[in-house]
Amino acid sequence: MTLDAKIPSGPIQDMWDKHKFEMKLVNPANKRKYTIIVVGTGLAGASAAASLGELGYNVKTFCIQDSPRRAHSIAAQGGINAAKNYQNDGDSIWRLFYDTVKGGDYRSREANVYRLAQISVNIIDQCVAQGVPFAREYGGLLSNRSFGGAQVSRTFYARGQTGQQLLLGAYSALQRQVDAKTVTLYPRREMLDLVVIGGKARGIVVRNLINGQMESYAGDAVIIATGGYGTAYYLSTNAVNSNATAIWRCHKRGAYFANPCYTQIHPTCIPVSGQHQSKLTLMSEGLRNDGRVWVPQPKGDKRRPSEIPEAERDYYLERRYPSFGNLVPRDVASRNAKAVCDEGRGVGETGLAVYLDFADAIKRLGEKTIDEKYGNLFDMYERITGENPWDVPMRIYPAMHYTMGGLWVDYNLMSTIPGLHVLGEANFSDHGANRLGASALMQGLADGYFVIPYTIGDYLAGTSLEKVATDHVEFKRVASEVQADIARMLSIKGAKTVGEFHRTLGGMLWDYVGMARNEKGLKHALEAIPRLREEFWQNMMVPGRAEDLNKSLEMAGRVADYMEIAELMARDALHRAESCGGHFREESQTADGEAQRDDKHFSYVAAWEYNGLNNPPVLHKEPLLFENVKLSQRSYK
Amino acid sequence: MQNFYLGAWSSIGKKFLMGFTGLLLAAFVTLHLLGNLTILLGKGEAFNQYAHALERMQWLVVAMEIGLAAVFLIHIVAAVFFVLGNRTARPLSYQKVATAGNPSRKSASSATMIYTGVLLLAFTVSHLKTFKFGPGMAQGYAVQLHGETVRDLYRLVVEIFSNKWYVIGYVVAMILLGFHLRHGFWSAFQSLGVYHPRFTPAIRALGVSLAVALAFGFVFLPLWVYVRSAQFGSVALHPLAAVVHYFSGVAQ
Amino acid sequence: MTKPMTLYLSIWRQPNAKTPGKLIQYTVTDVSPAMSFLEMLDQLNRDLVRKGETPIEFDSDCREGICGTCGLVVNGIAHGPERATTVCQLHMRHFKDGDAITIEPWRAKAFPIVKDLVVDRGAFDRIVASGGYISVNTGAAPDAAAILISKEMADLAMDAAACIGCGACVAACPNASASLFVGAFLSKFALLPQGQPERKQRAQRMVSQMDAEGFGGCSNIGECEAVCPKEISLSTIARMRRDLWKALF
Repeated sequence: MTLDAKIPSGPIQDMWDKHKFEMKLVNPANKRKYTIIVVGTGLAGASAAASLGELGYNVKTFCIQDSPRRAHSIAAQGGINAAKNYQNDGDSIWRLFYDTVKGGDYRSREANVYRLAQISVNIIDQCVAQGVPFAREYGGLLSNRSFGGAQVSRTFYARGQTGQQLLLGAYSALQRQVDAKTVTLYPRREMLDLVVIGGKARGIVVRNLINGQMESYAGDAVIIATGGYGTAYYLSTNAVNSNATAIWRCHKRGAYFANPCYTQIHPTCIPVSGQHQSKLTLMSEGLRNDGRVWVPQPKGDKRRPSEIPEAERDYYLERRYPSFGNLVPRDVASRNAKAVCDEGRGVGETGLAVYLDFADAIKRLGEKTIDEKYGNLFDMYERITGENPWDVPMRIYPAMHYTMGGLWVDYNLMSTIPGLHVLGEANFSDHGANRLGASALMQGLADGYFVIPYTIGDYLAGTSLEKVATDHVEFKRVASEVQADIARMLSIKGAKTVGEFHRTLGGMLWDYVGMARNEKGLKHALEAIPRLREEFWQNMMVPGRAEDLNKSLEMAGRVADYMEIAELMARDALHRAESCGGHFREESQTADGEAQRDDKHFSYVAAWEYNGLNNPPVLHKEPLLFENVKLSQRSYK
Repeated sequence: MQNFYLGAWSSIGKKFLMGFTGLLLAAFVTLHLLGNLTILLGKGEAFNQYAHALERMQWLVVAMEIGLAAVFLIHIVAAVFFVLGNRTARPLSYQKVATAGNPSRKSASSATMIYTGVLLLAFTVSHLKTFKFGPGMAQGYAVQLHGETVRDLYRLVVEIFSNKWYVIGYVVAMILLGFHLRHGFWSAFQSLGVYHPRFTPAIRALGVSLAVALAFGFVFLPLWVYVRSAQFGSVALHPLAAVVHYFSGVAQ
Repeated sequence: MTKPMTLYLSIWRQPNAKTPGKLIQYTVTDVSPAMSFLEMLDQLNRDLVRKGETPIEFDSDCREGICGTCGLVVNGIAHGPERATTVCQLHMRHFKDGDAITIEPWRAKAFPIVKDLVVDRGAFDRIVASGGYISVNTGAAPDAAAILISKEMADLAMDAAACIGCGACVAACPNASASLFVGAFLSKFALLPQGQPERKQRAQRMVSQMDAEGFGGCSNIGECEAVCPKEISLSTIARMRRDLWKALF
């Protein structure tokens, strides 16, 4: 199968308009005859379901939570980018496009990113009209801030709750369609498989999480918007129920998985406090605007931070990157924190943390200013750690945060399975090898509000779809397969809980497929992960019954998928013998330790085709052509 | 119809009725106390004159009484149905109950509104029976005032309040009134949708002051009468009889 | 490392909505003060699974106090003793070795119990569906800068919009009233110019649905405000009532 990204021809500025004109339309009177299944109700899923409902399609929307509003998009704090140039500081669609491609370390598809930048302005309009309470200036205009090292102020925000407010906007729009009866809501349902009939995605099999019943739903197209696979690492900033099951099972049904090794580690998280830790909490990286990062000079220094004199502190980011200092990009800051901790200079009980010190900023700007800027973050830190950051420096450590890889999609956001569309973090499309701050919200909403409503119409109008109902033999077959897996997990009755396996797997990923990777470690992981998976399937202990609310069983299914996805991540990381963005291969670095890309050999999207559990997946390449952006080496010195 | 339901009988509508009538009742009680203070003036002339002046208003006072009764009735009916509705909203109670503390206004006052309300209703019935529909001129409670024979309500008051059991019952009821008003006053404003970051604290303070002032005033009067009653020579009831007398209003 | 604690828990167990539940006693050992309350329950569940018992079901998701999924009544207080803190952000350092803790689910007729400590808050979604939106189709929006909103109003709207829909207000209310939730939802729109055209109808519809779901009425006690993890003000309830009057008269 050749990977055709279906990128329109012509100059990049006109591609999307031209494409919109060329796409086929579904007659308004016929839209209600089409059923579209949307899985996931985060920014991408909720905005897609609402917009498709408004157009008149018959939409069925599914989420694992008790309400669509709980999807993990809510946790995004910082903001959403848009090329509005309201600040007159030289921003433009072109600049946002350029920054995003560069920020992704030249591993994203130009055409998609340009469209994203174009659409970004419409998103802000839409959200304001919905009543999203973005921050305002005294004059009543929208307020912007600069974020993630961008040189222009293009980030819109709603206090520290931008994701929550944007999702509430999409959720309200969705509930409006529920009331209008164009959308039917199916909460507490977990998609466990995709049903492919005649080579097209025609339905899903879900487990009703309340009574454990298998339910089948048929449709004319399926949209997956279930987020990334960061929870494979066990500890991450994702929600504890965020999972990769929907995308992974689509992958096993034929959807290619692109760039699984592109994962993002966020530098400013609250460190792990012990074995009991269930998740990690991110603090806005805005903290690095005023906080200074340091560790003690000597190894194993157990003195309290206040007892360490200035001369014995190492402000390592300021030392190594004099021009960007504490504001280097996420991947650089994270790797450096890991490096000093590996040297034995980490702080705190575990030695896995560095200081983020506000003492100088408080002296320089005064308590009032710092309180206004960071007061809520200081409170959050104190609530979790019990330490007061006004008195002692914060301790921070990087944590798994976002996955840039995902199911491969073409320009229309359709995967390699016709009719299966993938939106938001679940697809791979826009962020390349590294996502910039405040870009995830932008992409989720762009896909859902402004791309899929057009492209899915083109698919439906241009495809002959025979009538399919859930009594089709294929639905029965898939449901019984899923049921057999569940029965098998419950029957093992081994000695280790699913959580223990998950933690072990997460540790392996963190150590070998984490912030810095090398051939030896990755090869080790490729042996260790399958061994762990084998043990998992022989020794897992899942309590309770299948016909009941059973969160342990839900988790077992998800961990089973992490076991497989982890192997693919390691395989992809091993094959990509270059450093780019969040993927840092120790073998490929510059003389002073920075990431070294290899554009000659690796300027492509690695899309993996599933080939059975015990066979290696097949690699397909989509070459990346850069006609509008000049490739350069990132430097933050 | 739907608007009428929402306005008057939705959970918000009932609270609107309760709040509105509650404020009217608070105003009535305030005026009532001011009128009663005439007891303190002279040896009953002022009080009897005040009572007589009300009676002479004839149809006007009847209209006001009917209005007042309607206000009472609306307040009570709305409250009873409101509380019954609330009871069904939580079929199974918590095994352990606590309050989260400030800024919660959960208190002995706010948590017992229906109970203080029911007791105040019982008191009101007894109170009306004792005074409004108590012995009048036909029973010999008559006195000459500016050449006119009027009902000697003052004598009745003095006689009733010379009984310590009646006084105790009355005092308890008036303390309950204070409790009811302490939450009820500001709550009425909130139920009417009146909230302002600056004025609401003032309304709350006013509510507490009003509750204390009214309770104090209503408690002070019977005590004052009781202490002074010896010099007028009251009819002493047997304590048990007094209790029976006090609650007979409730039973009927 | 601070000394690990032993705690004596009474936890509500209920197999499903139809079967009556009861409090069951558990002892959990080795509780670190650095744990969150839910991590303490995770540990108890791990021990239960190892002993072959059925773990206690409770809802949680983001575990950073923003998704609104978690909710437990801890010793009679929704989300536990810490102000402005969801139970997932409540840490065990606020408890002492040997403490007895009673853990119950949200209790309200409108929030039927699904299992153990898990409840169904679908009523909130239905209230929002009844009118909790601004009717603007995708693509129909004017330029964002065309609408001027004073900073003061935007901040007030944001205060109301901060509601995470956890339902603690209902759980804590002596009347199981959803007024703070509905008041907050109405307020965030009522305070913005975009929300004006549908303001009255929105209030009518959401209040009707709130009553239809079987929530109690608000008697202005304010227990909701005290447990609200986002400290939503009672002023939102007053605004809801004003909007309803304006809609009717």
